[in-house]
Amino acid sequence: MDLDLEELAAVIELLDKADFTDFRYEKGDLRIAVRRGGPPLADDATPRQVAPARSAVASTPVVPSPQVAPARSAVAPTAPEDGTVLIRSGMLGTFYRSPKPGDPPFVEIGDKVETDSVVGIVEVMKLMNSVAAGVAGEVTAVHAQNGDLVEFDQPLISVRPIA
Amino acid sequence: MTGRVFVANRGEIAVRIIEACARLGLETVLGVSTADRDTLGARRADRVVVLGGPRPADSYLAQETVVQAALSTGCTAVHPGYGFLSERPSFARLCADNGLTFVGPDPSAMEALGDKLRARELAESLGVPVSPGGTADSLAEVTALAQRIGYPVLIKAAHGGGGRGMKLVDSPAELAAAWAVASSEALAAFGDGTVFLERYVRDAKHVEVQVLGDGHGHRVHLGERECSVQYRYQKVVEEAPCVALPDDARRLLHDSALRIADALDYRSLGTVEFLYDVERGQLSFLEVNPRLQVEHPVTEAVTGVDLVREQLLVALGEPLSFRQDDVHVRGHAIEARVTAQDPAQGLRPSPGPVKRWRPPARGGLRFDSHVVEDYAFPPFYDALMGKLIAFGDDRAQAIDRLGTGLAEFEIAGLPTSKDLLERIVREPAFLTGEVTTHWLTDLLEEAA
Repeated sequence: MDLDLEELAAVIELLDKADFTDFRYEKGDLRIAVRRGGPPLADDATPRQVAPARSAVASTPVVPSPQVAPARSAVAPTAPEDGTVLIRSGMLGTFYRSPKPGDPPFVEIGDKVETDSVVGIVEVMKLMNSVAAGVAGEVTAVHAQNGDLVEFDQPLISVRPIA
Repeated sequence: MTGRVFVANRGEIAVRIIEACARLGLETVLGVSTADRDTLGARRADRVVVLGGPRPADSYLAQETVVQAALSTGCTAVHPGYGFLSERPSFARLCADNGLTFVGPDPSAMEALGDKLRARELAESLGVPVSPGGTADSLAEVTALAQRIGYPVLIKAAHGGGGRGMKLVDSPAELAAAWAVASSEALAAFGDGTVFLERYVRDAKHVEVQVLGDGHGHRVHLGERECSVQYRYQKVVEEAPCVALPDDARRLLHDSALRIADALDYRSLGTVEFLYDVERGQLSFLEVNPRLQVEHPVTEAVTGVDLVREQLLVALGEPLSFRQDDVHVRGHAIEARVTAQDPAQGLRPSPGPVKRWRPPARGGLRFDSHVVEDYAFPPFYDALMGKLIAFGDDRAQAIDRLGTGLAEFEIAGLPTSKDLLERIVREPAFLTGEVTTHWLTDLLEEAA
């Protein structure tokens, strides 16, 4: 089976409306992987990987999940990769990557940010608090998903500073 | 039983609540500050979320953050423990407005009791003994009132409590200035400048009654505790029952506490505090604490009732599983609070590394604590490290077991109150049970 660009766009549009973080499709030598933020899948670092579509990330429903399975604290001392700076959450709340549902995210991997650039929103009891980058550079990783509960001090985004 | 409870506290009481929830089959989520990530409570809870920085205002007192954390982690109830948010009606309301069960009384009962003047008037209206007192607006009226009460008088803040915001006045000459200062201090500290007068009882024992009510009109008392060993209004040693009470005074005490609980249709755990003037044989109402108390284990020891379990059950809508006739007090229990405070330095807080921590383990002892060896005791919160509770057939046996337990307790790395506790349980006045609320302060300040 072969997919042309138009069909690929249709697949991504369908996914856009679904609640997912990772999508993989394999048939014969065709492999498609789509993901929203987060670390890469174990084996998806292949040349045929489809880069996360901006719109797919932006449209994650902006509704805090009412039920979260118990797990240990998400705050783990993450050692930043060489030369990057972690932007951490200044408060516990619900993390949003875009100004409002349907809008593109404030930042994506590869984007340049200034010190005062807004990179996300943390909502505490219906109060929206914008998160500033605090450093000028290039976004190298996004650690929290749209709609996640983020804890105080939890890493949100990595930035490689530009001197 | 299924459900998930958010534990909005820290220290030993967080561990106690987590344990009670686990035994009921309830999951727990503990909200911690960054200073408390690596604590016993954090290890025992099913899930931990970091609320904010070490300062209580940024974490344990941040009402919106706590409610957001409870909602986002799928909790349906919030246990506030003691201190922090446990006596804030605004927090109880915020929980209710967001569909969370607050493990405590109704906000309206908390408001009625949080105003000490209103609580005093309620007690008086129910025929509960209160010491002579009241309030007035003009200086002339205040002076006349003090004259009727008789000096020395105590000025108290309506929204204070636990010894905070009190002023002792020995003579009419001091009254006007003290009244003005107390009022402005109360305004600054509690956001309300209302103050009132009460006769000062110097030689009194602190006695309190544990009450428990469900949401179905049932209320019981679980006997009394005596907490006369205090240093500057901080309780140090508590016991149950109070051996100095004659039977008629004990009946009046229990009956008075239940009358107040009935009038408020009280749900949850509460403690009705009184002073007992031994010489005059007079009881007088002090205040009601609408929450779980630090010293609850002594009541558990002599009644066999798990108070935290019952508190959770009634909050979740269960009717009480027992009646007053089922409550029996047997034996005697004494609790000693081991704190990170230096007795050699006026009980100054002494946080630091706990290099050695070997609590005693033997019959008749219970130990509630969140401290483990190599724990860095933080400087941000209260000094309580653990509570050693001794139980015996009678008071003498309980004292003996507590003394032995304290002597066997090995602590090193930081100064603690342990040596002082060992001294207290050997003091003749403690052994005879005649101490009153100023006894320990006198003992320590005479020596200084």
